[in-house]
Amino acid sequence: MSVLVAYATRSFRLLREEVFVLPARTVFLLICILLLLFPLISQEPFILRVFILAGIFAIFAASWDLLSGFTGQINFGHALFFGVAAYTAALLNWNLGLAPWATIPLGAAAAVLAGLVVGIPCLRLRGTYLAFATLAFPLILLGVVYAIPKITYGELGIYGIEPLAGSRVASYYIAIPSMIVLGFVMWKITDSKIGLVFHAIREDEVTARASGINTTRYKLLAFCLSGLFAGIAGGLYAHFVKAASPSTLELLLSFQVIIWAVFGGIATIYGPMAGVLILYPLTEFVLIRYLAVPSETRLLIFASIVLLVLLFMPQGLTTWLRDRTEKICPRCKLQNLAWRRKCRVCTAELG
Amino acid sequence: MKWLIKGATFLLIACLILAALGCADEEAKEIRVGVIGPMQFQMGEHHWMGATLAADEINAAGGIKVGDEYYKIKLVQVDSNELVSPADAATAAERAITVDRVDFLMGTIRSEGAMAVQEVAMDHQTIFMVCGSSETKMSDKVAQDYARYKYWFRVTPFNNTYLGMMNFTLVGMVAQQVVAQLHTAPKLAILAEKASWTDAIVAAAQTILPTKGIQVVSEVWRPSGQADDVTAELLAIKDSGANMIMTALSGTVGIAYGRTWGELQIPAASVGINVMAQADDFWENTNEYGNYEMTLNVYARDVELTEKTAAFMDAFIAEKGQTPTYNAGTYDALYILKEAIERADSLDQDNIVAFLEETDYIGTGGRFVFDAKHDVTWGPGYVTGVGVQWQNGELKGVWPPADGSWPTGGPSVTYAGIVAYQMPPWVIDYWT
Repeated sequence: MSVLVAYATRSFRLLREEVFVLPARTVFLLICILLLLFPLISQEPFILRVFILAGIFAIFAASWDLLSGFTGQINFGHALFFGVAAYTAALLNWNLGLAPWATIPLGAAAAVLAGLVVGIPCLRLRGTYLAFATLAFPLILLGVVYAIPKITYGELGIYGIEPLAGSRVASYYIAIPSMIVLGFVMWKITDSKIGLVFHAIREDEVTARASGINTTRYKLLAFCLSGLFAGIAGGLYAHFVKAASPSTLELLLSFQVIIWAVFGGIATIYGPMAGVLILYPLTEFVLIRYLAVPSETRLLIFASIVLLVLLFMPQGLTTWLRDRTEKICPRCKLQNLAWRRKCRVCTAELG
Repeated sequence: MKWLIKGATFLLIACLILAALGCADEEAKEIRVGVIGPMQFQMGEHHWMGATLAADEINAAGGIKVGDEYYKIKLVQVDSNELVSPADAATAAERAITVDRVDFLMGTIRSEGAMAVQEVAMDHQTIFMVCGSSETKMSDKVAQDYARYKYWFRVTPFNNTYLGMMNFTLVGMVAQQVVAQLHTAPKLAILAEKASWTDAIVAAAQTILPTKGIQVVSEVWRPSGQADDVTAELLAIKDSGANMIMTALSGTVGIAYGRTWGELQIPAASVGINVMAQADDFWENTNEYGNYEMTLNVYARDVELTEKTAAFMDAFIAEKGQTPTYNAGTYDALYILKEAIERADSLDQDNIVAFLEETDYIGTGGRFVFDAKHDVTWGPGYVTGVGVQWQNGELKGVWPPADGSWPTGGPSVTYAGIVAYQMPPWVIDYWT
């Protein structure tokens, strides 16, 4: 009992000192709680479907941010990781009858391998050259998928694999907690020493190397970590839609993830996740159902919203909001409320 | 006196409210049908137009009778976006079923999208009638897991196997013309887009056609469905010595093919499947070089497949200004559904499935009877399709031949409006 009380006290202190002190973290916590409680409000299959897909794509978008946002290794072919994992999971389930709890991690492992395959030859490239090289990999795999239809079922893909769970609510409670936990893990990685190195590589790779950092190793690590999380998203997606098809490798998905990330705010992890959680439900049902927008103008409105946000908030939505509600302490570099005069930890003047 | 006026006003308002409620109750008696397709493209527009024409006619005649009551058809347009992103089709289907509360679904075009919609519709045990994809994997599922997939039916086009059979029948007809007009043995080259639906057709052509006395060139040309230049393929075909080309093209490559084939005057008669050649704008898109291009089709403007075809054709052209494509099969699909509901005398999906399976309906495209896998049956006496050829700017029906002959036997098939096939003059000049 005393252990429980100790844990509760510690959790409460953590919430008070680390979460409630900043509006962004408080809002994030509230959104997580709301998402977890949502099925108590509505169990409408379509809305749950949209949120499940948004959750899966949020993991995917954050994994792009982990690689491209933090290390600056711009990846135009991120769908490769998603598609590799989706196909691996689907093939293992279809041919060997493995359950989703086994196929999803194995799919993620295949995506890590894909990260290595892409990362090693691309290490010598930078900027535009790297971006276009990464663009080629999903296209190559797409060609392979079409070339061996006896295994991959060609352009139709593999349909009818085992579902993620027995019911829509159960699928929801797999996808949404996965999104929260994996998002938190990615955020912790970027907040650690590894994240600092990723930042350093993005800002000035030569200086980072001169400081004794093995940038090659860290860039490979970024490719693999990004592949891992994108792979989990791919596996979850395949089992949720009960299919792995060429659309999981198409350019549209690779570009869509960049739009979500840039809209939300790159190099934040939570920004791309917020981008998906806002844009995906907005275009899938809010516009059509609640604002009676005809489906043919949906894309136009989507593009207009993204353009307007990027015009007035070039750093992305969450970064813009964060800059207006938070301030960094010049001494200890910790985040503080924007209207505080002194740092909440080192009491230095915030200016 | 005041209380009397107040009382009368109250009664009047109460009556109006009751009347309004009564009207609302009356209006609520509707059957919601989701028409799902790529609504930004011609295919989706034809899905919608076909269904709209049928719904307007059925509603004008009173609606669908179930028990003693008549239900109006309420169409719901569902944009699947499947040509851009097939995965969107599944989400759109689920939205239609669970949010828009549609009772039935019909449409789709791209096989990947149609299969995704099939899964969602079966999850919700909702009848889904395909009017656009020929993929046999969908009907195979009905055979493999009937309890789950029994709610699926295909109205247009016929499945890949039937498409292949019809294709070979058209090839046989042109081969006869080659022998008669070119005085040479038929030699066929295959040009099929790189897609799964063509694989079975190519394999079957290589096996079956040689047994029918048609030599098949061993090399098969497989351009992308979106290729915009097939000059190299066509010149290679010319070099192969083929005097016939069998096409299996559904993408925009069909336009590049038609244009280049006519412009280079490739000395080989073209026959087969070219979906782009089924559309009215093929003539302009090929700069009139598509003359003499031949393809199988579901409809032809001047060919009366049944007594209902001409009226439908006129109405569709009047509304849309275009000849209907096979996606407009939603017209027949809605009538087939209406008949099944009325025979079942119920709105229960399982009951309706049982009566859909017993369908024997003369529609605009022919006589619709579903086989054991819920595929529309193709052949003499059923839906046959029509072979069409571009002749001086008009898409004319050239098959089944006017003499009614059917190569594999069976009842003769004759349609009003069929004209004679024309061998391209440059092909005749080259070989004679």
